[in-house]
Amino acid sequence: MTPASKPRVGRSLLILSDVQFWIPVGVLAGGLLVLGWIH
Amino acid sequence: MDPLTARRGDSTPSDQASGGRLRTLQTIGIFCGLTAGAWLGAAEAPTKLVTIGISPVVVSLAMVVGVFVARWSLPALIQGTSYIAADLRQAPHLIVWAILAGCLWATANTLTIFAVRDVGLSIAFPLWNSNSLLGILWGIVLFDELRGADWRHWLGVVGGALLMFVGAMTLALASSAQAPAHDALRGVIAALAAGVLWGTMYIPYRKAYLTGMGPLSFITFFTIGELGMMTAIAVWLSGGVAPLMHQLSNVSAVLFWLMLGGFVWVVGDLFQQYAVKYAGVTRGIPLSNTNQLWGLLWGILVFGELQGGTQSLYVKVIGGSIVMALGALVIALSSVKPGEHERWKARAAREAERYGVDSEFTRARVEGLTTGGVAPKRSWVDWAIVSAATMTLAGFGLLARTPDIPFRWESCAVLLGALLVALVGCGLALWRVTKFN
Repeated sequence: MTPASKPRVGRSLLILSDVQFWIPVGVLAGGLLVLGWIH
Repeated sequence: MDPLTARRGDSTPSDQASGGRLRTLQTIGIFCGLTAGAWLGAAEAPTKLVTIGISPVVVSLAMVVGVFVARWSLPALIQGTSYIAADLRQAPHLIVWAILAGCLWATANTLTIFAVRDVGLSIAFPLWNSNSLLGILWGIVLFDELRGADWRHWLGVVGGALLMFVGAMTLALASSAQAPAHDALRGVIAALAAGVLWGTMYIPYRKAYLTGMGPLSFITFFTIGELGMMTAIAVWLSGGVAPLMHQLSNVSAVLFWLMLGGFVWVVGDLFQQYAVKYAGVTRGIPLSNTNQLWGLLWGILVFGELQGGTQSLYVKVIGGSIVMALGALVIALSSVKPGEHERWKARAAREAERYGVDSEFTRARVEGLTTGGVAPKRSWVDWAIVSAATMTLAGFGLLARTPDIPFRWESCAVLLGALLVALVGCGLALWRVTKFN
């Protein structure tokens, strides 16, 4: 099975279970909060 | 033979050839970082337009439109969309990472414009350039960079980054007297937050390059997140679509310069991406942060900043610049040795296994080699993208007028000449050794 033909659900779960994914997501949320406050 | 435990005496001719290629890739990565610094520094020049009263959100949005145009047209021109499609088939999960990185970039860029408005470019710049310290931290903690390196290399990278930070702070102090300070605390927080966002953006970068995706493919999807997030922020902060369109139509005469700034930024960012790929986050990002020196050169030589300053002011500017350049030199000399590179490869193999990417693809791409045997070809789609991008920029160029700010064309021509020399030299080296992989 090539990577492109892997089930999308399986791929999504792999990303969501990757700790490294949540670091940028958390930082982005914090950045948007700061932006809202500054504006 | 376990590569992590291999001794020098056990090396085969193949190992030696691989070591030679590693050194070449390292050198190219370091030159890419320095070229990135020159282009990224030039791209900050249009942010001066906030000083003539243009909304930070409009400045950021217009730059991102220019960025979007460049991020689709340059990859189409250099490699063609078939190359990007091939990368996508190998590692489709990286689309999510690229879009996430684009969202981080757009948010950070908007914060920097607020920071420039509130504390001035010269203070804001070093504060957001602290992103390299965070980038180094993520490189060490998450991607095993500097693992397997001896103490001299640790000292070189961390010490060099700290030297650059000290130099940057000195430059900030030097020019603080000339900076507008509408709301210093807000500006400082905005600049630091931008640094955290940009420092964290290197996680998706490194993730993509360890897995094997080419920088040209990565930025194509990166920009979808970038433009989407920037549009959402612009609509949000402007109070709706209609007020935003009204603001944009009011400044149509300078949109071209902002878009051009975005375009120039992409050229710098592309070299930064190759620097991260071939020299790692820990070396590539601090080197590309020499953009502050270039930003200072543009400020002083082209926009006439710091004119009529005291002797102490010039001592701080020259001293800060020298310290920063020394930091960059120390980092550039702390190249990756085979032991550390094996750690990178092991990390790449783990990424490939986790996401089911062909390990041969990952291995070849980490070494800057082409896979699949068939060279990508450009099609009519690529030429259509390049033509549309050219016409978009030309269209806004026809509407443009020169902003009413001090500007020295002679100095601008000299700096542009330096940019072109760096672009051609580094671009040719990248093409010869990696074919832009």
